[in-house]
Formats: sequence, structure tokens, C-alpha cells
Amino acid sequence: MQRGIENAKLTMALLTDTTDVFSASEASERCAVLFIASALGTAARAPTAAATVWPRVAAVLQGFSEQGWHLSLRQMIEPSSKIGPMVFDTGFAHDADYVGVFEAPDISSALAGTVQLEQAGWSSCYATRWLLGSREFAAVHAQGPSIGRDWGFIALWEWNDAWAAADAEERRAYDAECDIAFQHDLALNVNISGRHRLDFASSWHHLGMWEADRPDTVDAAMLGHEDAADFRFTTSRHYIGQRKPLAQMFGIASGEPL
Amino acid sequence: MNTVVWIHYARPRPHWYALCATDQAAHRSTWASVAAASAEGGAHHVGRYHVRGQHDYETVEIWQFASAERAADHWARLTAAGYNEWFAFANNLGLATHVQP
Repeated sequence: MQRGIENAKLTMALLTDTTDVFSASEASERCAVLFIASALGTAARAPTAAATVWPRVAAVLQGFSEQGWHLSLRQMIEPSSKIGPMVFDTGFAHDADYVGVFEAPDISSALAGTVQLEQAGWSSCYATRWLLGSREFAAVHAQGPSIGRDWGFIALWEWNDAWAAADAEERRAYDAECDIAFQHDLALNVNISGRHRLDFASSWHHLGMWEADRPDTVDAAMLGHEDAADFRFTTSRHYIGQRKPLAQMFGIASGEPL
Repeated sequence: MNTVVWIHYARPRPHWYALCATDQAAHRSTWASVAAASAEGGAHHVGRYHVRGQHDYETVEIWQFASAERAADHWARLTAAGYNEWFAFANNLGLATHVQP
């Protein structure tokens, strides 16, 4: 970002209240950068992607890491994690081949970072929707034994017209019911990223992400949200994918940690 | 220098149409004061345009801000004033192409 531009310090107000599960203790200027990427023909699989695009993208990501970015959902949930940049392989279930998330120190860095990545050659391989969102709620950790969780579930939602027309008491009752579903998610040994607020630069209002051991667990979690009438007041879009090194997007078989 | 564009699409939610003209005017007055504060802070309001004929929304509004944070703050103040509960919306941020990220 060009130096000298005044960045007004900002911690956005919550769009909806905290709950028993979700705390605003880590509400901050940190800004999620969600990307939803569809391959442009075969460019990402061409030898030139691995030879020329990936080294430039990796150099940009290395710079981000040094500036305090988190480069995976894993690192957003466990900041001490040394895992390298990661994505979720979503092509088997969606029109997007990859969905991934970073977390930048602030909104300006996030916005400029999307341009840097595109200019490093990312845009020659992928058509990408970049969504930015400041952190509202802290990550919530699973209840259960330590297990591998290499599946990601990415939820975008907006508060719909029915929510907008509801009164404060109806919204409180709804939040309390949804909290039961979120408790159920944690009991399924799922990690939740917290919540980010997207609405200043999207039609989506929020981003939430889960780390789960397998798709069946995500399905069980969603049944719980259906039972809690979660989707009465939200219109949602969900992605599911298996975690892979981001280098795979550019034809590198195994990514080295940055 | 305003290096960030903020594009805001909007349409009334169904229950907006049930409000009487006086209540609608009161809301619009509140939101206009939010916009005025942004303009006093250096933001440039390019304009508000009707797009219902070829879009999912009714209007598009274009602003230029000094930073992405300023745009987010403008939106945060509008939502704190209840704007999002009466209007459905889609927002975009853009960095001027002459800025070296």
C-alpha cells in the first residue's frame, strides 16, 4: 500500500450480538481475504505456471508472512502453526476449483494484497472472487480428542429480509437457538474460525469456516443447523474442500512451508 | 487523495414499502447525515444512479475514499443507523490502478 495514505483506525461494530459460543474478544482490524478461484483453461497446469508464476506468487506470500499475515485457515485458528500457505480443493463439488483464506493485518493491506497476487501472475491462471472481511468473533476450538482435520467448510451468509423485518426479541431467540447448533458443531470435534464481517465490500454479510475430519461430519453439523432453523433468517452459500498446499494451484506437487 | 472507490448497490427490502412517508423520510434524513459526515471527512460522493432497468438492485451509489478503512467506516456508521435493515445491498471496493500496491 502506498505510504502516506492515512488509514483511519477502525474496529467495526458488530452486525449482530455475541453469543455463548462466540466472543468478540478478538474483534480487530485484522481482515480475512477469502478467494474463490476457477482455473482459466489449462493455464494453471501448464509447465510455465510452475516455472514462472508460482515463484512470483510464493515471493508475494513470503512477504505477506513477514508482515504478519496468516496464510491458511489452520494458522487463523492456531496462530503458532508453522504450516505453509494452504487452500481447499473444492473442484469435485463446486464450480470453483479452489477456495482459500488468508488473514491480513488490516483492510488496506488485504485490498492491496489481492492486487499484488493478481499482478504476480495469479490472474493468468485463475478467475478469482476476492472477499474481504474484518474479524468480529474469536476462533472457537473443538471439544474432543486431538484428530486430523484436513477438510474445510466455508460458509458465506447474509441476513435475509425476514431477519431484517424481525424485532429484537425474535432475533435474540433465533441467536439462542443457533447457538445450540454451534455447540453441536464443537461436540462433533470441529474447529470454528470465529466470524468475519464482509458486508462493506460484498453482498455477503459474514464468513465462517470450519475445520473438520471428513465431509460426513460437516453434513451432520449442517443437519443440526437445519434443526435449529438457522436458515430461516439467513441466505447462505457453502463450500467444502480438502486441504492442500497452495502450491498445488500452480502445478507444484507438494508445497514447502514458507 | 482518494485512492479507493466504493460502489454500493441497493434496493428496498419488502417491509420498507409498509413504512409511511414520514417514517421513510426520517430514516433517509438520518442516513443523509451519515453521508454528510463522510463527505466532511474528505470522501467524494460521485453520485447515485438508477439501475433497476438492468440490474437486481434499484440504485448504484459511487464514492471515493482515502482508504479502504474509511469506506468500511462509512458503511459501519450506515449499518449502525439501521440502513441495512431496510435496504438489501451489494458493495464493492476497488484500489485505483495508479496506486502501486
